[in-house]
Amino acid sequence: MSETKKVPKRGLSTYCFYPMMDVNMDLEDIFIHMQDMGAVGLEILADGIIENYPYPSNKWLDKWFALVDRYGIVPVEYGHWVESRLVPGREASVEECLEQLIRDIKLANFLGFTCMRTKLSVCDEILTPVPNWREVIKRALPYAEKYNVVMQPEIHSPSKLTDKMIMDYVEFIEKEKTKYFGFNIDFGVFQDKEVEGMNRPRFMPLDPSKPEDIIPLLPYVHCCHAKYYNMSEDFEETTIPYRKVIDIMIEHGWDGYLLSEYEGPKKTDINHCITQVRRHQLFMKNILGK
Amino acid sequence: MEKQVIQSVGFRNIKENGLVTGFQFKVRLPYYRGVFLSQLRPGTLFVDGERFEKEDIIWNINGEDYSYEEMKDDWKTHWGVTTPAVLKVKKEGGLAQGYHQLKYGFCFTSSYMPPVMQERLDPDEESPIIMPEFGHHVNERRLLIV
Repeated sequence: MSETKKVPKRGLSTYCFYPMMDVNMDLEDIFIHMQDMGAVGLEILADGIIENYPYPSNKWLDKWFALVDRYGIVPVEYGHWVESRLVPGREASVEECLEQLIRDIKLANFLGFTCMRTKLSVCDEILTPVPNWREVIKRALPYAEKYNVVMQPEIHSPSKLTDKMIMDYVEFIEKEKTKYFGFNIDFGVFQDKEVEGMNRPRFMPLDPSKPEDIIPLLPYVHCCHAKYYNMSEDFEETTIPYRKVIDIMIEHGWDGYLLSEYEGPKKTDINHCITQVRRHQLFMKNILGK
Repeated sequence: MEKQVIQSVGFRNIKENGLVTGFQFKVRLPYYRGVFLSQLRPGTLFVDGERFEKEDIIWNINGEDYSYEEMKDDWKTHWGVTTPAVLKVKKEGGLAQGYHQLKYGFCFTSSYMPPVMQERLDPDEESPIIMPEFGHHVNERRLLIV
């Protein structure tokens, strides 16, 4: 009997359609695009997509469940933020951070999500999280467990996979013996070629992580931001060594969701965004074989 | 909702007890997510060059009025991206019929950005690094009052 090979699954972040409000595009339009492309894993940016966030109406919730059902959408990741610089002149207390986090844990679970992209506040230029992150996350763990959602900070350029903060996260996970904290690795950390038409700030030189740096981290990764900056006419991402990274994932049996996320030039042009996301999905389909 | 930050819909004089006491206009949040009121950094308004201070502008979010001072500590009230705010400005007699040049600055904090990029946030000046998802701080529009 042959074993079915485990491969990553395809999905996308609503961020791919970031200028959607300029043209009154709505959630259903995004779901139709997803169905067109066979990319059914969804990341929403909760604040932005959920009407009357953080307290959606029953009417909106009814619409959400009906649309998810109609288009066969898999709610994967719920994007949210823990704001530490919430009030001018002071840092938010642990309790204030926790209040934001628990509110989102409950809402994520209610909407059917199993992961959260937990954006922690940062204290420096390489995006190190604020010093009280351990205490906040530790106190949120019982809620994450109860509501069955994994909190995942996003590891985003200019952070590197070998940075101390990643080691700190791993150490925390091992110490707490928890399955409810992990990370979302944004493929932008592997970017090894410049993007035409984008000016990089001088204090952020291109300094990519190596594809193999992901190997020890894969057990803690539940989904990834499949970042793309430039999809060519012949459906190749020209700035990130995608095939190397995905080959490693397949080799190690990682079968989480790869969520398209566009951060290239002209991202304020909705037609450009739609062309890019379709190219990106076709590109991933070619690599993954489905 | 219009694409521009300063909306044409909602631009009018405010009448109270039969007297025109000021004017109002709407702005939308040029961001991909909402903010809590304490994250907002309202700036200065210029109408045809006349200056209105940030402390003198009332923000109305989802039907509730908030002063500049009230918004500073309010991290529970949320302003969403699909609901423009109404800005109310006191001015005896309001604005004259005809065209007006509005120029208004506001911005907001984001704790996921490095502090060095946030400390010098100025609603009346553009950031040194323009990132399209944060919109422009200062927006202008020429609008007609009837």
